[in-house]
Amino acid sequence: MAVDVDKCTGCQACVLACQVENNIPLNTQDRFERNRSIAWIRVERYWEGEFPDIKARFIPIMCQHCENAPCEPVCPVFATYHNAEGMNIQVYNRCVGTRYCANGCPYIVRFFNYWEPVWPESLRNHLNPDVTIRSRGIMEKCSFCVHRIRRGVRKADSEGRPLNDGEITTACQDSCSTDALVFGDLNDPNSKVSEMKKSDRYYTLLHHLGTNPNVFYLAKIDEDREVAHASHESEGGDGHE
Amino acid sequence: MASLISSIRERNKTTPTWLKVLIPILAVGGLGVVAVLAAVVAFVVTAWLGQPVPVLGFDQTFEQPISFPHTVHAGTGQLTDASGGLRMNQHGEPLEALGLDCTFCHRTVTTQASAYVPPVAQCAFCHQAIGPDSSEPLTQLRVNAGIIGDDPSPINWRRVHRMPDHVRFVHEPHIRYLTANPSAIGNAADGVNSAASVKPALTCSTCHGDVAAMEQVEQVEALKMGQCVDCHRDNGAPTDCAACHH
Repeated sequence: MAVDVDKCTGCQACVLACQVENNIPLNTQDRFERNRSIAWIRVERYWEGEFPDIKARFIPIMCQHCENAPCEPVCPVFATYHNAEGMNIQVYNRCVGTRYCANGCPYIVRFFNYWEPVWPESLRNHLNPDVTIRSRGIMEKCSFCVHRIRRGVRKADSEGRPLNDGEITTACQDSCSTDALVFGDLNDPNSKVSEMKKSDRYYTLLHHLGTNPNVFYLAKIDEDREVAHASHESEGGDGHE
Repeated sequence: MASLISSIRERNKTTPTWLKVLIPILAVGGLGVVAVLAAVVAFVVTAWLGQPVPVLGFDQTFEQPISFPHTVHAGTGQLTDASGGLRMNQHGEPLEALGLDCTFCHRTVTTQASAYVPPVAQCAFCHQAIGPDSSEPLTQLRVNAGIIGDDPSPINWRRVHRMPDHVRFVHEPHIRYLTANPSAIGNAADGVNSAASVKPALTCSTCHGDVAAMEQVEQVEALKMGQCVDCHRDNGAPTDCAACHH
């Protein structure tokens, strides 16, 4: 997945779309205050510069699906693993809730279900039947909308054709009004994400940790290069290697 | 020997009465605990290996609100009644089973995730005309369909085959693959594998058994993950966890 930070307006539509698509329990105020709210994708906001020359910067952060993921080797029951498609998979029915993976994740994108999820009666019928409802004591995280991937693969199979680039979209990508989020196959050299990866704005989050994420970012374009450059160093990610 | 008997008599004299009463009670109680534990272990082991013993609501079959006979609709050959005699129509001719394809009623099975159970209106397509008025289940059906009376309501069929909530089973690719590869069909009714052309419905028996021969549908296969994985391995289907668990 590619995230063009320059296009992100910080509207949070992706957060909401993800919440609805993946049956994420409602983040009520008491859950939020205890830092136990669940958001598979979040939009972080940074301030750049000093008032009055201040700029708001947004960066959507979801599971980075690292090739060298710190969450995977610490799981005692192999509930999280890397699959052949390069995705970091969370198997809910294997998870026993040790929370080691969340402690290991430098991006803080793994969430623990401290409570049984409940929805008001009026929202019962909105639940997505393709996504498992995670019960209490289960770790969860962005799955790259794996149910949509399965659906796309199945559709292509039944029609007897190869999968087209851009055919599979994630919920956050669908909701993004500026197309800042792009999902695709990095193994396909002609896909849109592969094109984006060649950009000189390319960088990955917390690059120095060596997690080798499958989600990459395209840096903000700013006339005021000095401010932009300073922000990159403070984030720890170097976009110009 | 004599000294042993005398020593036991000696001890008997010194044992207090309450202990003499308590020891047999404890012995019987201990045996009871062992028996209960053995029953529990036996239940768990059988359920682990195959289907659970049908006790305590672990039955593989249910009484449906209307006793729908798959034998009449999907079976073949002449129909017999409970005593083994041939069933006759009002003209005195023997009744033949319809031999309908599964997909005649379970219409979405070749295109969608679930093989739907037909709405009562679909039963009524045929049964507003077909079937005797004297039949008790058909009368119930016609009431549900609103043909008799003025209060139509859906039938609450009880679900027999149920996957756990963390499994996403989709019928469509399975039916498609098995239709294209009849050699992969297992547990099939006789003659299925040798059939020149495989109907989509015949593939159903791989997991559901010979439903056409069942008066009341029951779960034949345990449908455990081991079976899924075995079949997926044999046929080159994905064995990635996220193929089914997501």
